[in-house]
Amino acid sequence: MLSSVVSYMAEPEKIIVYTCPYVPAEWIAAHGLTPRRLIPLPVAGAVTIPRMEGLCPYARAFVNDVAACENVDGVIITTLCDQMRRVFDLLVRRARLPAFLLNVPSTWQTVAAQRLYLDELKRLSRFLVRLGGRAPDRDELARAMLDPDLPGESGSEFRLQAGVRSTAFTRVKPSDLPSSLPRLRNVEPAAPEDSLARLKAELGPQTRTKAFGDPLRTHETNRTATGRPSTRLGRTESHGVGVPIAVVGGPLMQRDQVLFDIIRDCGGQIVLDATETGARGRHGPFDRRRLADDPLLELAQTYFRIPDAGRRPNSELYEWLQEELHRSGARGILFHHYVWCDKWRAELARLKEWVGLAVLGLDSDGNGEMSLARLRSRVRAFLEMLE
Amino acid sequence: MSEAPRQITLREWDRRYERWQAAGVPQPAYGGPLGRHVADGDTRLLKLRFDNSPAALRLWNFLLTEEDRLRAARAGGKRLVGTMKDLGTVPVMAYSLDNLVAFYPDGAWWIPCVMEVNSGLLQIADSLGIDESFCPVRAMLGAFVTEAHFPIPDLLTCSVGATCDDFSAIAQRLNGLGHPILWWEIPHRRAPEEGEEAVLLPGGFSAPKSQIEFVKSELQRVRFALEDLAGRSLDDEMLARGIAQANEVRRLLAQLQHLAFTAAPCPMPALEMLIAEMLAIHFCSDRAETIAVLRELLEEVNRRVAAGTGYFPADAVRIFWVNPVADLRVMNLLEDCGGRICGTEYLFTHALDPIPVDVPPLETLAQMALADPMVGSAIDRATRIIAEICRFGAEAVIVSRIPGASHCALEGEIIAEMVREECGLPVLEIEVPPLTDAMAPALRTRLEALVETVRDRRSR
Repeated sequence: MLSSVVSYMAEPEKIIVYTCPYVPAEWIAAHGLTPRRLIPLPVAGAVTIPRMEGLCPYARAFVNDVAACENVDGVIITTLCDQMRRVFDLLVRRARLPAFLLNVPSTWQTVAAQRLYLDELKRLSRFLVRLGGRAPDRDELARAMLDPDLPGESGSEFRLQAGVRSTAFTRVKPSDLPSSLPRLRNVEPAAPEDSLARLKAELGPQTRTKAFGDPLRTHETNRTATGRPSTRLGRTESHGVGVPIAVVGGPLMQRDQVLFDIIRDCGGQIVLDATETGARGRHGPFDRRRLADDPLLELAQTYFRIPDAGRRPNSELYEWLQEELHRSGARGILFHHYVWCDKWRAELARLKEWVGLAVLGLDSDGNGEMSLARLRSRVRAFLEMLE
Repeated sequence: MSEAPRQITLREWDRRYERWQAAGVPQPAYGGPLGRHVADGDTRLLKLRFDNSPAALRLWNFLLTEEDRLRAARAGGKRLVGTMKDLGTVPVMAYSLDNLVAFYPDGAWWIPCVMEVNSGLLQIADSLGIDESFCPVRAMLGAFVTEAHFPIPDLLTCSVGATCDDFSAIAQRLNGLGHPILWWEIPHRRAPEEGEEAVLLPGGFSAPKSQIEFVKSELQRVRFALEDLAGRSLDDEMLARGIAQANEVRRLLAQLQHLAFTAAPCPMPALEMLIAEMLAIHFCSDRAETIAVLRELLEEVNRRVAAGTGYFPADAVRIFWVNPVADLRVMNLLEDCGGRICGTEYLFTHALDPIPVDVPPLETLAQMALADPMVGSAIDRATRIIAEICRFGAEAVIVSRIPGASHCALEGEIIAEMVREECGLPVLEIEVPPLTDAMAPALRTRLEALVETVRDRRSR
């Protein structure tokens, strides 16, 4: 799988990083640029934005990781949440990297909102051209949309995870990548490996720290009736050992992979990753006929349907969850959010009222200071309750 | 009745009111002793000090009787519109229809302060999963549940998009509790790009024409909803008349601000000025009375300026204040520490700017909505703050953080950076929760240190 990712990136031009799922990788690729979805570690040491009371750890980590990168030619941030919208201000003041703020409407039910998103993609195109990208033609975009190896393409979740891994772990193990690839700099005085090693040590010898997304390794991707991507375990896995658990929430950082390990170690199996960095953050399949007619419109319409807590109203998120939770057979939900992430934090109580399954809320300060022992105890107790 | 300006306690006010009543001094229908609001639970009033003018009494009584006014409006057959996360746009539209009354449910954010956290609203919000990690505006959720602080509106609108996450999340929670909401999108205001048609907005920002058109289409949706609710059409002529009335409010406030921020001695204290500014957002549920209240306040201020009377020593430190305070008492505290307000940015400066009347009404309202300092970048906001600092000659800036508000995490950093770079002024960032009593000594120390710093700079 790594080879296919490498193959796609064999002729790198310029690298554009982003983290929000509403940024279409295909659109960047159609400009002859290399899209990288950056999932923050976060790095230690490099600080564009220090810790601040009230600041979302993910937003902070993303900006610090971006600012610490070398060989990145541009960054795209979206207005999906207020904190990201505002870290953009600090990024443009404190870093020299060309940055673009993509307006993602919160409302989605009007034609005007959909058109605004489409217009924003066109504006993004002008930004990408200014960075040295080529103006895309329909065929090029269509090819990118059909490219199964493109990070962000929904055809294979594992591919996306591999893409994430190749992005995020470049700094961890640069030697894993061919020398022809652009490199991200090892920025922190303490290498990320150290952070991961520390986490491993804290977890103890029984815990295997695996690449982010490993819990999805055996997943199949299916299309739901609504045309959205669906995550379902294969028959063997779904009948395997462990309490079937869904993980729901906003984005996760790389270091949050410990959560997946802890779930497994405590006797759970993850049957649905409904986080922003999991299945929920992926767009549905492209309609090939509409793609042939007007690929940009199809791209915009498909991405715009990604469900999120921040949409207003966010009823589509619950429709998606209803379908996916039923399909996955999850018996309980681990709900993860970062402190100060208002949009996800506010959904916890609502989800509990609505879902009819056991829900355990897990908040994280994103700094690795959340007690792993406490986390393990909570997860274990939750899983024991469900056994 | 004209006396030297002096800040007095609630008890003094009530004694004074008795004398006025005995003397047959006329009062508005909502008038009365301020002490009666304490009986209703507004115990914070006992710890505030108020301006001693009849105009100030009228202002306070007007503010504290809004709930009665809303219930009376409904009883009189008017329909109520709750305009959430809307600092001065939809209310202008709603008041253009004479059978609608708009109010600002977000105003419930002051209830925990005014009732000294005895209202139970925050506990209700807690029980709904909206805990103290959110802005105190979460009290609004409790107010909807108890229905004890305002009637449930017939129509709820809420702007979303480039708004605070905490409010957006709270509004979504409210929606999930069964309150239908008309969401309208306000996009992040961006600078026009090369080749794009640009529009200069009131207040000095600019935006692409395409964004104006988009917001206009969103406001058109709101207009349809208001028409449905009112059962009559809302044409451009009616909107233009509504805009003219809103401009009268803004004109009065601009004069008040100019005198309060520049005259020596200061003719009106910070607390009354804060309340007066807040009236611009939604007219405290009665636009005509808002104008009357502000006129009387302006007359009082003019009288004081002409007489050379006012507050504070001549060397009071001139402070520019950013963000409204969750605890009203802090405005008293600043003045106790030797400061006076000379410029404010309470999140809604755009609601104080005159609304242009040379473009079609809906378009001009779209411009106003996009001129909101909160929908653009913090850099834009800081730029406007700097312009106001220069205009009013402030000597220091206080950025007052609102606990849990998503915009407060970072904007203070940018505002402080830019103010220091461009004005060379000291900046103090403080956090003001709904009740500051427990932290008052620490807060006082910080404010005094800022005042002392400025005085020291003067002497160099």
